[in-house]
Amino acid sequence: MATKKKRTHRANTDSWVVITADSVIDTQKHDSDPAFVRLRNPSTDAASLYMLGSGNVQLFEVKAFEEDFHSWFVGQTVQRDGRLLFVTQMDPLYLILPYLIKSGKEGKFQPVNQVVMDEEFPACSRLLSCTRSLASLHHIAEEKEVGSLKFHRYSQEKTLNWLKKKVERTVTALKKRQISVGEGVKSSTFVRVKKESDYNEEDSLRYAHGLISEYISEDLSKALLRHLELPELTSPKETEPPSKKRKLSDNPVEAGEDYTKFNSADFARKPPKKMTTAQKTLAKVDKTGMKPMSSFFSPKAKTEQK
Amino acid sequence: MDLSPFESNNSVSCRLVSQVPDVCRNEDCCLGIDEAGRGPVLGPMVYGICFCPISKKEELKNLKVADSKTLSEEERENLFEKLDEAKSYVGWALQILSPNTISTSMLQRTKYNLNALSHDTAIGLVQYALDSGVQLKEVFVDTVGPAEKYEEKLSKLFPGIEVTVRPKADSLFPIVSAASICAKVARDRAVKGWNFAEDLGEVDADYGSGYPNDPKTKAWLLKYLDPVFGYPQFVRFSWSTAQTLMESKGVTVHWDDDEEDGEKAAQRQKNKSMLSYFSASAVGTTQNQTHQTHRFFSDRRLKSLDAL
Repeated sequence: MATKKKRTHRANTDSWVVITADSVIDTQKHDSDPAFVRLRNPSTDAASLYMLGSGNVQLFEVKAFEEDFHSWFVGQTVQRDGRLLFVTQMDPLYLILPYLIKSGKEGKFQPVNQVVMDEEFPACSRLLSCTRSLASLHHIAEEKEVGSLKFHRYSQEKTLNWLKKKVERTVTALKKRQISVGEGVKSSTFVRVKKESDYNEEDSLRYAHGLISEYISEDLSKALLRHLELPELTSPKETEPPSKKRKLSDNPVEAGEDYTKFNSADFARKPPKKMTTAQKTLAKVDKTGMKPMSSFFSPKAKTEQK
Repeated sequence: MDLSPFESNNSVSCRLVSQVPDVCRNEDCCLGIDEAGRGPVLGPMVYGICFCPISKKEELKNLKVADSKTLSEEERENLFEKLDEAKSYVGWALQILSPNTISTSMLQRTKYNLNALSHDTAIGLVQYALDSGVQLKEVFVDTVGPAEKYEEKLSKLFPGIEVTVRPKADSLFPIVSAASICAKVARDRAVKGWNFAEDLGEVDADYGSGYPNDPKTKAWLLKYLDPVFGYPQFVRFSWSTAQTLMESKGVTVHWDDDEEDGEKAAQRQKNKSMLSYFSASAVGTTQNQTHQTHRFFSDRRLKSLDAL
């Protein structure tokens, strides 16, 4: 029965279930409403969804919790997708950074409003009106002031120092929330006798680096790894053993055990038969205490013998 | 018989009991077990026990209690009155299993079938009689499933009591007939005065016998099918009659223990073929993936969106 069900493609609905701070949707101070915008994701270089708060003063990233077999009951309606959107604050510098890096290759000081431009994502210029943007550009660029005009040039050194601070802060946050960063799988409900005071410093640094790498390009991520003085993990490819066993000698290979005794007809291995859907459904039913089918065909006298 | 404890919350299993006659605490007693409402797609299943001193068996016979199925509703009500009048030596207890209890038992993750539910209910009622101080020596049961196995199970559970499991016990032993009358009367009353927990407005009470093959019942099931929720709790969702209708007329609902298999299901669940872990090239492809989300996010099932 279950296989008959078909999942139709997720229909576009005009409502979502979102978790966010009240301040995000507070429109009193500014005239424009907060809006979802598509911007270039610094890590994937493709489009991702973000939100600009009212008046474009704050940037938020949008993450979706998505798992199979979930739906919402909203008031008197059912929402098919069980998706939960999180709108959380984000440092706009991460999104500005790729544009600065690109123009930095020319080695010239330039006004940022000429740098942060994208035909594909015209909304990116709105990033500059975020309160944190211009005030924190000095973290990733050198500044020059000519008259009332400001010019910027990307600095990798500054950027790596800035990112290192981000990693360190992330480590603090990870420790504070006791997030397991080790390689092994650990259950969050498992009560450890020993508190994770012997927190592996390298593990948490590496974990934090991985988290920050979600917001920067791959090249920058590698540079940051070196800057943090973390050795690059060796790829498993190199350590992989050769796929075929080497022959030890040229003598003919002889079986260590005699398997021919299983070769008789009654030991003929049959491939397991595939069950039909109906059979599978039946197999799932709890049959304890039920009469076998054959009992219905035996003579009546037998059941009433007692 | 006061059904109000069940009617106040008809979504659970409820026990109704008579007073235990004093003689039953002092004399050796026999006990009969029977059920009513096993087959219908609507309403509760009721388990009943009746007990009396072995010495009073003849008096019970004189009440002319007979198999409830051979009696009209009115005759059953009359007989129940008679049993109630004989309360100086006859005691009874009922377990009403709401249709909701039946549905949730049979459809839960680890399936709990109607036979097992029946056995456990019967055992619970016998235990109740023992706990109330009834001096049980003989127990008569109408069978559910293979009689020998059931008898063995009960005998093991209640050592010192002679257990007799017999098909059609309700027509063989008066004490079982009495139990069957109690159960049937309770079921009839529960179905007639069903309090719908759901806000359905004026409910059409013309649902017939409640058995799946009754055309009235089928018509009622069609009428009260809600595309999202299916049925009111009055209906046993685990009955194939209800399931078939919900599948054809209702919205499709997927549960995570629905079994889907084959390549497509694996693809949908984003499972990789086991073989892919053994080939060298597969290692390469996973690394060449444009972007692998950090496990902080993948562990939490969080992902970026590119559009709403």
